[in-house]
Amino acid sequence: MGESRDAAVAGAGPMIEATQVWKSFGRIEVIKGIDLTVQRGEVVCIIGPSGSGKSTFMRCINHLERIDAGRIYIDGELVGYREHDGRLYELKERTIARMRSEVGMVFQHFNLFGHLTALQNVTEAPIQVRGISREKARDEGLALLRRVGIAKWANSYPSQLSGGQQQRVAIARALAMSPKLILFDEPTSALDPELVDEVLAVMKELAKGGMTMVVVTHEMGFAKEVGDRVVFMDQGRIVEEGTPEQVLDNPQKDRTRAFLGKVLHHSRHDVAVDIGPGAANGTAT
Amino acid sequence: MDLKLRKEWPQPRAGQQGGEVPGAQAGPPDAHLQINARPVRHYGQWIAAVVITALIVMLAIAVYQNPYIDHGVIGQFLFAHLILAGLRVTIELTIISMAIGIVIGVVLGLFRQTSNVVLQKFAVLYIWAFRGTPLIVQILLWGNFGLLFRNLDLGIPFTHLIAFSVKTNSVVTVFVASILALALNEGAYMAEVVRGGILAVDRGQMDAAMSLGMTHGRAMRRIVIPQAIRVIIPPTGNELINLLKASALVSVIAGGDLLTVAEEIYSQNYRTLELLIVASLWYIAVVTVANIGQHYLEKRYRRSEADYLQKTHRA
Repeated sequence: MGESRDAAVAGAGPMIEATQVWKSFGRIEVIKGIDLTVQRGEVVCIIGPSGSGKSTFMRCINHLERIDAGRIYIDGELVGYREHDGRLYELKERTIARMRSEVGMVFQHFNLFGHLTALQNVTEAPIQVRGISREKARDEGLALLRRVGIAKWANSYPSQLSGGQQQRVAIARALAMSPKLILFDEPTSALDPELVDEVLAVMKELAKGGMTMVVVTHEMGFAKEVGDRVVFMDQGRIVEEGTPEQVLDNPQKDRTRAFLGKVLHHSRHDVAVDIGPGAANGTAT
Repeated sequence: MDLKLRKEWPQPRAGQQGGEVPGAQAGPPDAHLQINARPVRHYGQWIAAVVITALIVMLAIAVYQNPYIDHGVIGQFLFAHLILAGLRVTIELTIISMAIGIVIGVVLGLFRQTSNVVLQKFAVLYIWAFRGTPLIVQILLWGNFGLLFRNLDLGIPFTHLIAFSVKTNSVVTVFVASILALALNEGAYMAEVVRGGILAVDRGQMDAAMSLGMTHGRAMRRIVIPQAIRVIIPPTGNELINLLKASALVSVIAGGDLLTVAEEIYSQNYRTLELLIVASLWYIAVVTVANIGQHYLEKRYRRSEADYLQKTHRA
């Protein structure tokens, strides 16, 4: 496992390697020793009840939260710190920002910049952070919006778009930085049911294209169809993990079974949904 | 009835909030179903209205017919040169102090948001000091600044080496002292308005900006503050109106504003009430104009804020 730590072999080892991650907020332990490895091109779905620490763990991956113990490596690079002669040094803000720019994140409540149009949302970071020219960013931005099916609304403001459209802009915005991987934090939980499919369609297309994805979700159908691995978290720990068939169809642990029993009872998407050919390039809706 | 029952509803176009159902008619079908009820009579309200109107009319008559008020004097001074000059000073003080106060407020607001503990504590201390003392006392202190520091020296601190020295009173005139007092005080209040505006911006905005690789500072400048400004503008308008009225306090150091002038005039001709009425009329006039502006400001910014909130949290 040691060789994956060497920055010189970035591109060879796992995309994410999290070891014994612990995180508390004050006196409340939220993450209690998580070990997780995500390979290049893998789609890992994290499921679990609220309060299990799933979202917090995601935020730890890109250092939006600081961990209290353990190590997280992204593509061989230690997150948040530099290790030298056995001591840890906090990284400068600019370095952390640079690392974050390589990790895309899509949020449950979209978090689109309300004062900017959809296209401006997508081009803002490439221009500001990467120094890409306005024209080039525009062209690439329009191409991305076309890819997620909303080129028509490039000049609309987030407040003029439906939730599904906003989330697709958010995905395009994350893609604009050409990230190595994308973290999805319950991307469809805040959407009306009829808008969920258009977002899932975009995510499926990304997965098929080989993007490394970590998705916190309740959409079991998505997990089955596209997920390479499912991880069940509860109370800050990983209870069970395996292929979707193993964890979702054949859970070994009682807690997993109990959780799935409650979730699948309510889910409309517990059967793989057939989207049809038009959805991935946005010709539906 | 024309209303058709449909088995399939037409798909709402994206962006619409579920459109009108085609084929539905406007208004109820039968006229006798129209609601035309006799409203509840509020007798208490009628009586209160009559009583209050009567009282106001009585007060107006008492003031108007008062033998001790000479209406001619009011007319004489309402547009007098001196009064208008004082009015101009009032407006100048207000605008200049407000401008400086906004800058101070923004700087302090940002200080409070940084991770630099020294800047943070300084901002807290400043706000505590300037909101903790009455404005009139601050004005008096600045007016007497020359008593504390006889000379203003420019040189190397903590030594006796002075390059440049000037008498305080020639630099810190009454006008300057008034502005210092009003601006520094306003800065403390604006700092809280700015802080409120920054806090009003959803935390997710900063999260998203940082996840895209922006540093905290860049995210603040490009993403948070532009959105905070919409929230900051209506209370800033209110602060301006308050400052307009508070500017009258500089009369305690003879700041040259409208009230100072009115006081100077009536100290000579003993027509106290008339001059105060003149000053009041001008204050009400200017504040009313400002209030109208504020009303439109609030309408414009409140509406977009409500719009924004409603639309981003519905899915």
